[in-house]
Amino acid sequence: MEGDSQRASASWENGTLAPGEHLRSDRADSPLPGLVEGTEPGAGQKSAMFVHAQSFEDLTAEAEEEVRREAEINKSGDGEEELKVLVGEKEQHSSDMTSESRTKEEDVTSEAWRSHRKHVFVLSDAGKPIYTRYGTEEALSSTMGVMMALVSVVEAEKNIIRSIQADGCKVVFLTKSPLVLVGVSRTCQSDKELLRELHYIYYQIVSLLTLTQLNNIFKNKQNYDLRRLLAGSEYLTDNLLTRLERDPGLLLSAVTCLPLASSTRDTVSSSLQAAKSKNLVFSILLAGDRLVTLLRKKDQFLHHIDLHLVFNLVGSSSSFREGEGWTPICLPKFNTAGFFHAHISYLEPASELCLILVSTDREDFFNMSDCKKRFMERLSKRSAYPALKEALKSPTYSVEQVGIPELRHFLYKSKSSGLYTSPEFPDVYKSDCEQERLMGLYQDLHSSLHHPTRPLRYVYRCGDTENLLAWVTSGFELYLCFSPLGTKALAVAAVTKLLKWIRKEEDRLFILSPLTY
Amino acid sequence: MSAMRVDAKVVMLGKESVGKTSLVERYVHHRFLVGPYQNTIGAAFVAKPIQVGEKVITLGIWDTAGSERYEAMSRIYYRGARAAIVCYDLTDGSSFQRARFWVKELQNCEEHCKIYLCGSKSDLISQDRSLRQIDYHDAQDFADEIGAQHFETSSKTGTNVDELFQKVAEDYNSNAFQEMKPEETSVDLSQKKDSYFYSCCHNN
Repeated sequence: MEGDSQRASASWENGTLAPGEHLRSDRADSPLPGLVEGTEPGAGQKSAMFVHAQSFEDLTAEAEEEVRREAEINKSGDGEEELKVLVGEKEQHSSDMTSESRTKEEDVTSEAWRSHRKHVFVLSDAGKPIYTRYGTEEALSSTMGVMMALVSVVEAEKNIIRSIQADGCKVVFLTKSPLVLVGVSRTCQSDKELLRELHYIYYQIVSLLTLTQLNNIFKNKQNYDLRRLLAGSEYLTDNLLTRLERDPGLLLSAVTCLPLASSTRDTVSSSLQAAKSKNLVFSILLAGDRLVTLLRKKDQFLHHIDLHLVFNLVGSSSSFREGEGWTPICLPKFNTAGFFHAHISYLEPASELCLILVSTDREDFFNMSDCKKRFMERLSKRSAYPALKEALKSPTYSVEQVGIPELRHFLYKSKSSGLYTSPEFPDVYKSDCEQERLMGLYQDLHSSLHHPTRPLRYVYRCGDTENLLAWVTSGFELYLCFSPLGTKALAVAAVTKLLKWIRKEEDRLFILSPLTY
Repeated sequence: MSAMRVDAKVVMLGKESVGKTSLVERYVHHRFLVGPYQNTIGAAFVAKPIQVGEKVITLGIWDTAGSERYEAMSRIYYRGARAAIVCYDLTDGSSFQRARFWVKELQNCEEHCKIYLCGSKSDLISQDRSLRQIDYHDAQDFADEIGAQHFETSSKTGTNVDELFQKVAEDYNSNAFQEMKPEETSVDLSQKKDSYFYSCCHNN
């Protein structure tokens, strides 16, 4: 088992994403869990759309290499006490200077502030606050100073601080010079999961500025206040953090599609394909948080992290609803050095359908505007637009359609396509609080499947409120949620049945034939 | 969207949160959105036809983001603009400094662009005079000095908003027949191909 998982991740290390041709030849009608990547339900037929489609490992691999090089620091016992003393002391200090100045913002000395489940802080190498999820940066400057001190002290011994386990609370550090990111969590997520989330925040910042600009700024002025440049973007980071808690796509490193008849999807894709332009690299059509189609230049692949950043940008702002947006955006997994320029517009002001055209040329606005116009014309001419609008009315499906009585919810990810599918939350999980709880359970399972040293292939867990099964193979990742009355035998039988159902519906649920220009 | 000919490029400039987007929103959609402040990402473009005498002139309005982050990009938005609406917040002194910066920038880089100085949020002043940070006459003096038109507007009530854009369109109309350098003519969405004439100095 150990060997298997090693092999599976090793085969992706060279960075190519399309599975070997020999793997695609046979697509079994009744897929069995023994499927290899490229033949599982939902796998693309021609080529995949994303880079490193199963790149959960890819996301954290870099950080892990550092660990291999440097000895891991286990700061327990003394270290823990030390931190408490330091933090306690510092927070007393900050209370003096902040108590009068802030009324609207949350009081960082209050119990409420301390008891948030997850804090995220971003600071510069010089210890200057850049972002905090709760409270204001000014009020936390001394606390962030302590964080920086911890990083520096360990660095002075030619080592890297990774995490601190304190009582009921975990502190994870990510040093990405010139930035330092710190997560403080009361959840039971593993270090690796928390680190993954910090990486997302890091990429969010890079996507606004580019790494080149970031480095230049701090090279010229070490104690620069980066908040000046990030002003007005805090809500993007806030929203990304909420997404990390709610959106299965960020957990699975995958994207979900709008269920759509394959003939309609093909028409939409080919209409978009026809509206090409010299500098156009990616065309993305979204319906809310769901992908309708994605076109790319040949040999250029989009990374799902970059796509999630685009989703976040579009979803966080209502300003694209009117007129046409034109914004520089860095796609950090593509290239951290430069900006792309994105033309963002909704097909209609009240529509959910948003078209994003990514160009390399910052003067390309009117070309992109013209591409959109051509796409719309073609779409109407081939009368795919009404069908597309019809599909928007049912952007999701209920789990009953699968026909497995005890099954409440599931997440299924096809590894080779980087796409996942999931039914709507049933009534039991309709509330935000219940949804987050279920997502938390999935996250736990995910942690177990992707444990850095002891990854599991199957997990079955019985609880008071639900039973869960998670299963990872080289082709797919599957998370199932059953009613607490279900049995293990039933759960195992459900897997085959579910896979058969997904195979039957894959035309509608996945993008099987992605196009290029 | 149907093919639309844009006659005059108009660019909105000014410090963040002075209300550039609200001004455009009021003018184009006749509404004022109440809600948490949302900054513009990059820039937004909207084309708006306006009646001037017998003629219909289409303004292509570029609503730019005020954030410093996008400053390096601003050149592409004001290049070739026939009018720039430089906004400042009547209740924020620093926004006027920023407006001076933009005026200087335009004078240096875009001498054919007409400048309209616009003090925003005048409804706040009429509610409470003590909120005013920028004296009307100081702003007017500055406008005279740079040869700009000066308006005080409220996007919330709509005061002076239509007047501002009407003035922009009228000025364009009366200057339209004056000689202009060819590459500064308006952008034509429907007949892009014809512009190959002077395309050697652009990268399209």
